[in-house]
Amino acid sequence: MTEGTENAAATTPSPPAAAATAGAAADGHFETAIAGRHIAKRFGHVQALTDANVTVRAGEVVALFGDNGAGKSTFLKTLIGMIKPDAGEFVVADRPVSFSSIRDAQDAGVECVHQDLALAPDLSVVDNMFLGNEMRHRGVLGRLGVVNRREMTERADAALRELSIKLPSLKVDISALSGGQKQALAVARAVMWGHTAVLMDEPTAALGARQSAIVCDLMRTVAERGLGVLVVSHDLPRVLKVADRVTILWRGVTALEAPAADLTVPDVVATMVGYGRDNAA
Amino acid sequence: MSTVMSGRSRRAKAPDDLDPDIRAVAPQSPLRRLFRETGTWILVLDVFLVLLFGALSDNFVFWSQTNVQALMINGTEALLLALGLAMLLGAGAFDLSVGSNLVLSSVLGALTIKGIAGPPDADGNYHNLGVAILLGAVVCIGTGVVYGIVNGILIAYFDINSLIATLGTMGIGTGAALVITQGGDVTSVPSQLQSEFGLASLWGFLPYPALVAIVAAVVLWWLLRYTRYGIRTLALGSERTSAERAGIRVKRHLVSLAAIAGGLAGLAGFVDISRYGSTAVAGHVQDPLVAITAVVIGGTLIEGGKVSIVGVIWGTVLAIVLQTGLIILGFQSFYQLIAIGVVLIVAVGLDRYRVRRRGDR
Repeated sequence: MTEGTENAAATTPSPPAAAATAGAAADGHFETAIAGRHIAKRFGHVQALTDANVTVRAGEVVALFGDNGAGKSTFLKTLIGMIKPDAGEFVVADRPVSFSSIRDAQDAGVECVHQDLALAPDLSVVDNMFLGNEMRHRGVLGRLGVVNRREMTERADAALRELSIKLPSLKVDISALSGGQKQALAVARAVMWGHTAVLMDEPTAALGARQSAIVCDLMRTVAERGLGVLVVSHDLPRVLKVADRVTILWRGVTALEAPAADLTVPDVVATMVGYGRDNAA
Repeated sequence: MSTVMSGRSRRAKAPDDLDPDIRAVAPQSPLRRLFRETGTWILVLDVFLVLLFGALSDNFVFWSQTNVQALMINGTEALLLALGLAMLLGAGAFDLSVGSNLVLSSVLGALTIKGIAGPPDADGNYHNLGVAILLGAVVCIGTGVVYGIVNGILIAYFDINSLIATLGTMGIGTGAALVITQGGDVTSVPSQLQSEFGLASLWGFLPYPALVAIVAAVVLWWLLRYTRYGIRTLALGSERTSAERAGIRVKRHLVSLAAIAGGLAGLAGFVDISRYGSTAVAGHVQDPLVAITAVVIGGTLIEGGKVSIVGVIWGTVLAIVLQTGLIILGFQSFYQLIAIGVVLIVAVGLDRYRVRRRGDR
């Protein structure tokens, strides 16, 4: 049982290792965490994005709403370098950037929690947290590619504890976890490696009410550490409550950018479906 | 604590200090975990078959040192091929061309050795024998690696299904070997290769080729368990898109795995010529069957994500023990093919049944 609760038994404060991961965000001072301006993208006969805009400042949670087919996913994918847009500019940490792969975005400190979570079900919690960023031993062993599982476990444990995420064990395969636990883990992984912005695609879609609330709390926690958080969601009431600002996409165009406090769910829905625009256009 | 009870679970009596929110169950005992591994059951079956064949054979010849050594030598090539295949399967790719890779590598290696060693003098000694054998080994392994890289590029960059790609290269490889030898075999490779390596043993017991295969198995086991390369291999087989999104260079990784599998097949080709003193172009048609059987019955998942190197070893032992045992009992050698085919299907069938009952996948 000792092994079973190695991260749930949160009695000791986080070791310095965790602070180092989190510290990266505090060091680099920037105002705009991530922004996309005048983004356009066409797939064959479909103009997915025409003029999509979003700005996420450091320490802020921005909700990206839009009806199905409004271009939310495409927009998100352009922001992390998965899709190259036809036109538009990106800013990350106040600097203009142009990503040609996810790796580029990751190097700039931009991480994404994908809707399908992008976890490897046959790997352990620790291995998943460090997938693509494995820590190696020092010296010869490290040069041979030997990973330092002990340190990885400690860091993963600290990172999860910091976000108050409880898992039965860090050694079990991901396939043994519940949907909520996987979601929390995916968020924790993004937070661990992202030091500028964390983007989340429908993070509460597969979750129950209680776990959705936990994920929303996580968004706030992440923003409070100085990162920008961009959330794509259909869960309007919940996300509206947690977000600082709202961006609404309508047919590939940013139809509204406004503080969340000024909006109600009916307002958002009306803009999402283009109420009043169809006639005007 | 009643939230912990989950219907028919036998381990439902969870300790009270558990957080009801995460509903963790106590870890299983090591013995129990051991017997959850398919490989362990195959080992039990191996032991049973060895006892059975031994008891049934005349004068218990199945247990004789000569036979055990023969088993090990026979198992060497199968194990080398199976290990490479297991690595590829771990990443979710197949390789049907391991047998023809072995053949092509052995042909080029044998020609190299003969070409450099030249004709023997009156006492049967060769000039440059050492260099010839060394270069022969390099050519064997090199050919295997190149063969593997071609497979890998077809699978990863041209996005051809691995079964189709390697089925194609299987034909090409065997055909190329036959073209080079004009349909025959490369014979009379210097006999020193047999006496010094192929048929020689460490401490008079452990055949050198088997030692090579065991070293290869240990290295791969270590690679999978302790290195970044291993984690990434399994991640790739477990969920390819996840691996891609984690920033792993998936295509390059697949090619490197195919190169490893190819190199091991080339090494098996070198073992082949050192055993027989000639190539055996026609003798490796069933190799993929044996290799796949050994890998799959040992608990490696066909879908990728889980590789059991220990299971591969026990699976290879099973295939070889079956082959040899049936021959010793006086069955015609053709029956072994039927036996192995049946074992493959029964093993996979049982595994599917178990997975369905457990509802894991």
